[in-house]
Amino acid sequence: MWSIALKTLVADRGKLLTALVGVVFSIVLVNVQGGFFIGLIRKASLLVEHGQADIWVGHKKMHNVDFPRDIPQRWVYRIRTVPGVKRAEPYLIGFSDMTLPSGGFEGVVVVGVDRASLLGNAWNLTQGSPDAIFQSDGIIIDDCEGEKLEFPKVGDRREIGGRRANIVAMSHGIMGFLVAPYVFTTYERAASYLHKNPDVCSYFLVQLEPGADADRVCAAIRQRVPELDAFPREQFGWISINFWMTRTGLGISFGAATLMGILVGMVIVAQTLYAMVLDRLGEFGTLKAIGATERQVCSILLIQALAMALVGSIIGLVSVSGIVYFYSTPRAPILVPGWLSLGSCVLVLAICLIASLLPYLRIRKVDPLTVLQS
Amino acid sequence: MIINSQPYEMSSKPIAVNIEGICKSYRCGNTVTPVLEGVDLVAQREECVFLTGPSGSGKTTLLSILGCILSADRGRAQILGEDIFALDEEARTTLRRERLGFVFQRFHLIRGLTSLDNVCVPLALRGTSPLKAHDRGMALLDTVGLADKAKMHPRNLSAGECQRVALARALSGDPDLLLADEPTASLDATNGQEVMQLLRRLTTQEGRTAIIVTHDQRIFHFADKRFYLENGRIAEAPESRSTALPESEQ
Repeated sequence: MWSIALKTLVADRGKLLTALVGVVFSIVLVNVQGGFFIGLIRKASLLVEHGQADIWVGHKKMHNVDFPRDIPQRWVYRIRTVPGVKRAEPYLIGFSDMTLPSGGFEGVVVVGVDRASLLGNAWNLTQGSPDAIFQSDGIIIDDCEGEKLEFPKVGDRREIGGRRANIVAMSHGIMGFLVAPYVFTTYERAASYLHKNPDVCSYFLVQLEPGADADRVCAAIRQRVPELDAFPREQFGWISINFWMTRTGLGISFGAATLMGILVGMVIVAQTLYAMVLDRLGEFGTLKAIGATERQVCSILLIQALAMALVGSIIGLVSVSGIVYFYSTPRAPILVPGWLSLGSCVLVLAICLIASLLPYLRIRKVDPLTVLQS
Repeated sequence: MIINSQPYEMSSKPIAVNIEGICKSYRCGNTVTPVLEGVDLVAQREECVFLTGPSGSGKTTLLSILGCILSADRGRAQILGEDIFALDEEARTTLRRERLGFVFQRFHLIRGLTSLDNVCVPLALRGTSPLKAHDRGMALLDTVGLADKAKMHPRNLSAGECQRVALARALSGDPDLLLADEPTASLDATNGQEVMQLLRRLTTQEGRTAIIVTHDQRIFHFADKRFYLENGRIAEAPESRSTALPESEQ
């Protein structure tokens, strides 16, 4: 049956290509739309993912890493006494303005890191070193934000919150979900830029002793400091992502676009399969007349659908790789994880199999008698 | 009415097809049109039986009933020892696949397949291994003189060649009963004679039975027995010409 199904499929190249276009369209759309979505939404948890902390501790009901509330810095001592905690350091995040060479201002997110541990500092540096922030008025900014900040270079001098700032290093690809660029510096200098009392901070970043259970330590921290919440890194990352998903309708928007793509792909595949079957009703009648069972006829359609899904998925995934290679940027990253590619292939396979049901229903009605009567 | 020289009761060969009192009507709305009204027919092994008659006389309907594609309203039908009206749909499909071979007026070859692939279709339906099917298909194409066109698609073959491929396909499953519907209707005289010579040689001489529906008087001499069907009944043929097999074909 494989041979009959595949050879008859390949024989009608025009319709095969049309169906493949539908499958490839679905694969590309699901992966690129999904990749854009994941790339965009992952920005919401960028600091959490790269912060090197096992646990994030912040104010009660903390819901987004970029929107913290002030908490007393002295509580860090209580956290350090919790069993399983290897290190706990204060972390400061807040909004300020940076002066531009043209005389304007640009809003920035100032991130203050602990001098000793450098927990939560900038990563992926292209110029300078992480400890360059120890230099006088030293800050690290991202080279992808050049346009907004009027193309700063290492050695340039700016003002943040009315205080002097020297650019001492540059990172690449640290672009958050917010439009404001991140500026990394020491905790004390960040407090100065933000005009905050150094006695308050935004979070405590906690690293665990080897073998310590993150959930248990979180529970212990909540018990020790009831005014605070504590979450393992992955959970707080999801909390931050969920904030934008639920409060902006971003998920629905991307999801709807992806669903439309899937539907269009499904309609193309179904329509093409149906047209192929209509063209070959007589042949299916012949097969039935010479003794093909309903199961065998059905298997021909399923094999054809499977083949289209497989070939279309391969072409689609190769196309997606090309799109990611050429078009993914830190500003609009396309992150296509393996599960998304695999999921899209399974989805397309399901689409093709469902799409083959429609022509099968038509074939079921074909009476082999028509072969003799024609 | 049997329009041939040898009464079948005299033969000792086993009976392949035996139908009695077959009636069939088609219903269209409230109108019932009788097509077959009590047809009896017997065909023995190795016989080549022709069903002739004018258009609309019920030949194709009778062939469809013999091929287990259509059910009769009344009557009895024993095909290759099976009471086909007692069989369920699956068993009838199995009987078609395993023991019957079909040749159609318009060949009904599958366009996307080569000659060889078309011949191998019944074998694929039976689950024969591709290698065995290939060997059997090539042998049959060789028999019908088309071994050199095994890789060609039907669109590149002449009508006569297509019908020979269709004949090879019908025989690939080694059927006991071959049913052919106007096998020469789409062919010119020369091709028609060639196909019939092949059909005759590859069926009755190999122990099969053939039942052939035809209008084509040019091939009547290939028949062992000929039944003339008119108004749904076996009737006397209008022509008086001899239909006995020529010496060379016996």
